[in-house]
Amino acid sequence: MSQTDKNAAGWRRWVPGVRASVIGVPYLWLLLFFAIPFLIVLKISFSKMAVAMPPYTAIVEYVDNAFNVNLNLGNYTALFTDSQYVLAYLSSIKIALISTVLTLLIGYPMAYVISRMSPSARNIAMMLVVLPSWTSFLIRVYAWIGILDSNGILNRWLMAAGLIDTPLQILNTPLAAYIGIVYCYLPFMVLPLYTNLVKLDHRLLEAAYDLGAKPWQAFLKITLPLSRNGIVAGFMLVMIPAVGEFVIPEMLGGPGTLMIGRVLWSEFFTNRDWPLASAVAVVMLVLLLIPILIFNRSQQRELEGKLA
Amino acid sequence: MPVDAKPDIRNDAIALNSEPGYLSIRDLRKEFDGFVAVDDVNLDVRKGEIFALLGGSGSGKSTLLRCLAGFETPTKGSILLDGQPITALPPYERPINMMFQSYALFPHMTVEQNIAFGLKQDGMAKDAITRRVGEMLELVQLEKLGKRKPHQLSGGQQQRVALARSLAKGPKLLLLDEPMGALDKKLRSKMQLELVNIIEQLGVTCVMVTHDQEEAMTMATRIAVMDQGWIQQIGKPDDIYEQPANRFVASFIGSVNLFEGVIDEDLPEYVTVRTADFPAPIYVGHGITGYEGQPVAFALRPEKVHIAKDEPEGETNKAFGVVEDIAYFGSHSVYHVRLPSGAKILSNFANMKRWDSDGITWNDEVWVSWDDNDGVVLTS
Repeated sequence: MSQTDKNAAGWRRWVPGVRASVIGVPYLWLLLFFAIPFLIVLKISFSKMAVAMPPYTAIVEYVDNAFNVNLNLGNYTALFTDSQYVLAYLSSIKIALISTVLTLLIGYPMAYVISRMSPSARNIAMMLVVLPSWTSFLIRVYAWIGILDSNGILNRWLMAAGLIDTPLQILNTPLAAYIGIVYCYLPFMVLPLYTNLVKLDHRLLEAAYDLGAKPWQAFLKITLPLSRNGIVAGFMLVMIPAVGEFVIPEMLGGPGTLMIGRVLWSEFFTNRDWPLASAVAVVMLVLLLIPILIFNRSQQRELEGKLA
Repeated sequence: MPVDAKPDIRNDAIALNSEPGYLSIRDLRKEFDGFVAVDDVNLDVRKGEIFALLGGSGSGKSTLLRCLAGFETPTKGSILLDGQPITALPPYERPINMMFQSYALFPHMTVEQNIAFGLKQDGMAKDAITRRVGEMLELVQLEKLGKRKPHQLSGGQQQRVALARSLAKGPKLLLLDEPMGALDKKLRSKMQLELVNIIEQLGVTCVMVTHDQEEAMTMATRIAVMDQGWIQQIGKPDDIYEQPANRFVASFIGSVNLFEGVIDEDLPEYVTVRTADFPAPIYVGHGITGYEGQPVAFALRPEKVHIAKDEPEGETNKAFGVVEDIAYFGSHSVYHVRLPSGAKILSNFANMKRWDSDGITWNDEVWVSWDDNDGVVLTS
C-alpha cells in the first residue's frame, strides 16, 4: 500500500458509512433536540433569577482576572422545602397513577376482547381505537368542555332523563381531569396490550382447561401473567406523559387540580422565574427516570422473547 | 368387506369390536358451519390400550380427539368413559388429560410448576403435590431440571415435561396429539418406544392422533384409519397392513400394487380375478362368496412380489416385464417393472449382499411372481 493510499484510508476512517449514518441520524436528532436543550435547562436551573435578558444570571463569570463559578442550589432547596412544590409533585403522581390504573381497567378488557375477534374485525376495532387521534389533541380536549359543562351535553341529557334536578359540577374539578386523561391516553394502553394479547397461544388456555382450570382461573394463571410485559408497557406509556400533563388539567381540571405541569408554566410565564422553572423540569425528569428504566427493561424482554 | 385368509383372526377382531369398551364412542358426528368433520363414528377402546387415530389432514382425526378432550361439542352422538357419559362435560371436569402437539407448556412457569398445575387445580395438599411432582420427574427422568423454564429445555425434554404434566393427575384417559410431530426423525423412534414404555408401565388408556403410519404401527395396539370424517378400518397394525378393508386403506398404509378387475371364478376355496393388466387370471387361494362377476381390486404389497431373471417354477401368478426404474433405499430397492399390458408392478428387493454384480438392472427382462395367498381382493 502506498503512502497516499494510507492517507486516503486515514481520512476515510472519519467519513461515516451507510450503516453508521442510519444509526447515527436518530442519535444526532436526540443530541440536537433532547441532550443539548436538556443541558441548557440544567444550566439555567443552577442560576439565579434576574431582571434581564435572558432573565437569569450567568453561572461562569470572568471578573477581575478570575473565573467565578456560581452554582446556585437555591432553586432545588426551594423545591424541597416549599411544600407547594412537593405537594404539586405528589399530586401529579397521584393523578397520573389513578388515571393510569383507570386506563388499565378500561383498556385491558377492550384489548382482550379485540384480540379474541376474527382478524378482519380486529383491524376495524383497532382502527376505531386509533381513529380519534387523527383529530387534534387540543380539539378533543376542548370537546370535553362541551360535554362536561354545566349546560353541556351530559348534564342536559341527565336532566332530560329526570335523573338529576340541578346540573352536576364536573368541569373544572379533578374528576374532569381524570376523564380527560383517561380518554386521551386510552389508545396508548390498548395498543401495547393488544399486541401482547393477540400473540397469546390459545393452546396454552386449552392446556389449562384440560388440566382442570375453569376459564376465569386460566385467565388469572395464564393470560394475565403472560400479558405482564404488555401491562408494563401500557402503564408506562400512559403514566410517564400523564405526570407532566399540562393541557388537560389546565382546560378541564380547574384551579383545584394541582399538577406539576401547571406549576412549571406559571413559574416560567407568570413569575418569569426561569431558573426555578428549570429546576422543576429537571426534578420531574429525574422522577420519571425510574419508570422509564422499568419500561425499557420490559421492552427489552419483549424483544428478546423471554417471558417472566 | 375384506377378504380374509384366516377367518379365525377376523372373527376375533369382530368380537373385540363389539365388546363395550372402557372408552366408548357412539354415532359421533361433528359439523362446522355445514361442513361435516366427523361422521358416524363408533369406536370402543379397551382399558390399558394404546389406540391410534391415523389419517391425513382433514380426515377428522384431530376433531375426534378434540371432542374427547372436550374442546369441541359433538353435533350428535355420545361418549362414555368408564361407564360415565362425558359428552356434555367441559374439559376441566373430564378425567382426561392431553399431551398437546408442540406441547403447550406454560412458558412463564418452571418444569415443576407446569407439572403441578393440574394438581393445584384439584386442591391437592402442598406436600402431596411436591411428592407427586417428584414422582413424575423421576418417571420421565428429568429430576435435575425441575427448576428450569420450558425455553431452557431441548425438544425431547419438553416432550417429557408435557407427558409428565398430562400424567400427573392420573387421568382415566390420556390423549396424545401428534406426539412426535415436533421432534426430528432420529429422536422420534427413540421417544416412541420410551413413551410406550411409560404408558404401559402406568397402565393408562391412551388415544393418540397421528398422520405418520410408522408411528401408529410402532406405538399402537390398535389403529383406526380415518378418511373424510369416516373410520375406514379398525384393527391391529398387522391386520390393517395385511388385510386392508378397502382401496383407501390399502393405498394409505404403505405402498401397494392395485389392479382393477372382475371376479371370474368364485368358489369356497379359491377365486380368480380377471384383469386387463395380466394375461392370465390372478389366482387367490381363499374364498370370497357372492361377488362373481363383480368389479373388485386386487391389492398386492411390493415386498410380496418376487423378482427374478428366470421364469419361476410352479408359481401360478407370474408375469413377464421390463425393469423401468430402480429406487435405491439402502436396506432395499424398489423395482418398477412394466408389463406388456402397460401396467406397472412394484417389487421390493432386500439388499442382502453388499455388492451384487449379477443383480437386476435397468431394462432387464424379468419375471415377477407371488404366492396364492399374498394378495387381497378388495370389494370396496
